[in-house]
Amino acid sequence: MELDKDNANPTILNPSDLPSRRSEATVRRRDDGAAGLFDDLIPRYNYLSDPFDEPTSASDSDDDTREDIDEQEIYDLISTICDPEHPLSLGSLSVVNLPDIHILPPSSPLSSISTVVVEITPTITHCSLATVIGLGVRVRLEQALPPRFRVDVRIKKGTHSTDEQVNKQLGDKERVAAALENGTLMGVLRKMLATCE
Amino acid sequence: MTSPTNARTHKLSPLATLTPPSISRTWQSAPHPSLPIVATACSDRSVRVYSLTSFTLLHSVTGGHKRSVRSVSWKPGTKGQSVLATGSFDSSAGIWRREEQGGALENDFTNRRVGAEEDEAQDDDADDYQFSCILDGHESEIKCLSWSPSGQYLATCSRDKSVWIWEELEDDNFETVAVLQEHDGDVKCVAWHPEEDLLVSASYDDTVRLYKEDADDWVQVALIEGHSKTVWWAEFEASGMSGKDFRREKEGLSEEQMKHIDGLERSGPRLTTCSDDCTVRIWRRKAKERDEHASSNTGVPSIIRSAAIDEDWYQEAILPQVHERAIYALSWSRTTGMIVSAGSDGKIIVYKERWRRHAEKDVDGDQMDVDGDRAPSPTEWVVVAELFSAHDVFEINHVCWAARADKGKRVDGEEVVLSTGDDGEVKVWTLDEDVVGQA
Repeated sequence: MELDKDNANPTILNPSDLPSRRSEATVRRRDDGAAGLFDDLIPRYNYLSDPFDEPTSASDSDDDTREDIDEQEIYDLISTICDPEHPLSLGSLSVVNLPDIHILPPSSPLSSISTVVVEITPTITHCSLATVIGLGVRVRLEQALPPRFRVDVRIKKGTHSTDEQVNKQLGDKERVAAALENGTLMGVLRKMLATCE
Repeated sequence: MTSPTNARTHKLSPLATLTPPSISRTWQSAPHPSLPIVATACSDRSVRVYSLTSFTLLHSVTGGHKRSVRSVSWKPGTKGQSVLATGSFDSSAGIWRREEQGGALENDFTNRRVGAEEDEAQDDDADDYQFSCILDGHESEIKCLSWSPSGQYLATCSRDKSVWIWEELEDDNFETVAVLQEHDGDVKCVAWHPEEDLLVSASYDDTVRLYKEDADDWVQVALIEGHSKTVWWAEFEASGMSGKDFRREKEGLSEEQMKHIDGLERSGPRLTTCSDDCTVRIWRRKAKERDEHASSNTGVPSIIRSAAIDEDWYQEAILPQVHERAIYALSWSRTTGMIVSAGSDGKIIVYKERWRRHAEKDVDGDQMDVDGDRAPSPTEWVVVAELFSAHDVFEINHVCWAARADKGKRVDGEEVVLSTGDDGEVKVWTLDEDVVGQA
């Protein structure tokens, strides 16, 4: 990472062009315990109390305790992550894009597990930081979303030279868990996610 | 027509949750080979030892590892003491010992257990697991470790793509007898054959490999390909299953079926694997010609001899595909021959093998006849139990069978299923035939 930047001149979107549903004032204030989540390198389940199940959702979802989470909310959670080599957000660099976020409902009425699929677009095809960016997205979502969501982060097909390899790493739970116990890597991730507060 | 995959004849019911649970992810649980206790590898760097009679925590083994404990394995056949091996993300393996009072404990669970619980309340320290030695060598996280059935060898595997075999020469003196670097990716699991010093490893490179000792050198004797994604777990069938599983009832079998039983006997215990590709597969060794043993010790050059120890393992079956996400673990019952699996989708599935009924031959297409010329197996695997959300919405990292040891035990040899989850809980399940019309 101390090497020359892989992409010195990325395309940057104007913040007002980024997808958003609400007025700016209400977009981002989610006290879901994300602050301080990285104080300890061992992953803990601080979100055991589902932040989205709290009574605040009562207004728009009547009897159902489970508020639906949509793609825009997922986007809001990850678009503010800071790129590891530019002081810019993943949203403004178009690394994460709203149309590349999909939420798959439970496959059976007996199951309560939904899947979030996020395809990220690295700024250039050989970007060596694609894995770190993907890991940041996965970690952010796993820590912010209720545990009933499975998070699949992939490199968008055809946008990266080693996408299969990166996808396999990002999909490997054991590797992700071990990475989160790695102090150096966590330092990088902490910086990337600091902008999410 | 009823599809075999829909015949849910059994039901998993919750019996207990081991308490107190861990506050963070638990990875794997290993029942003790003779005592009614289970060790659980925890991401908080500890190992928790629970009683399977009271379902409570007996010991917390801490202070040994700097990162997650990923894997635990009890040394089999120890007398007077329990020996536990722990493998950690800190790249090291630890050996721990605890003196077990009374020589009769292997035979007398019940008395022993009562005594143990009283001791527990009185003094802890002398009773604790003592750190005995550390096995250093792997370059990155240890993913799994396993003692051979004789207790002579301990196998470890790691993200560094290698499998190490350690031999205990005397107490706490371990020697590396082999470093096997055949895989092209993380090695996720190692396990031993129940009768032979035959080791299996499963990997991130989607392959499964088998190793044996040949003239003082451990070498790969078989490469198994078939899974299309990471293979998370591998386990051999127990010895002597022909007297316990679908083969037990021999009356009224056809000639073809008797021939099948005989063939399985010659192949020896089979192998089962599970993968990120959402399949569970059964592999079987091609039986060697009988007279081959005669020529194996004739002093032929080692190049030729190596070829003679190669084994041919082929896919016998793909179990009905019920899991929707990665299958992290499975366990083959030593009592009934049933297989239990679990994984990322939070489900626990139990499968049973039975004779294929002639009427529905080949309807389900489960028998992948990949090698072309092999006749389809006269048996089929059916799902007998399917449980959703066993750990609420959390992933299940490990599942295994264990001898039931609590007061509610109904028959000798009754088994329970232990599941270990991301919620930090180890749950105990009973498996019962689901009475038709009920539920």
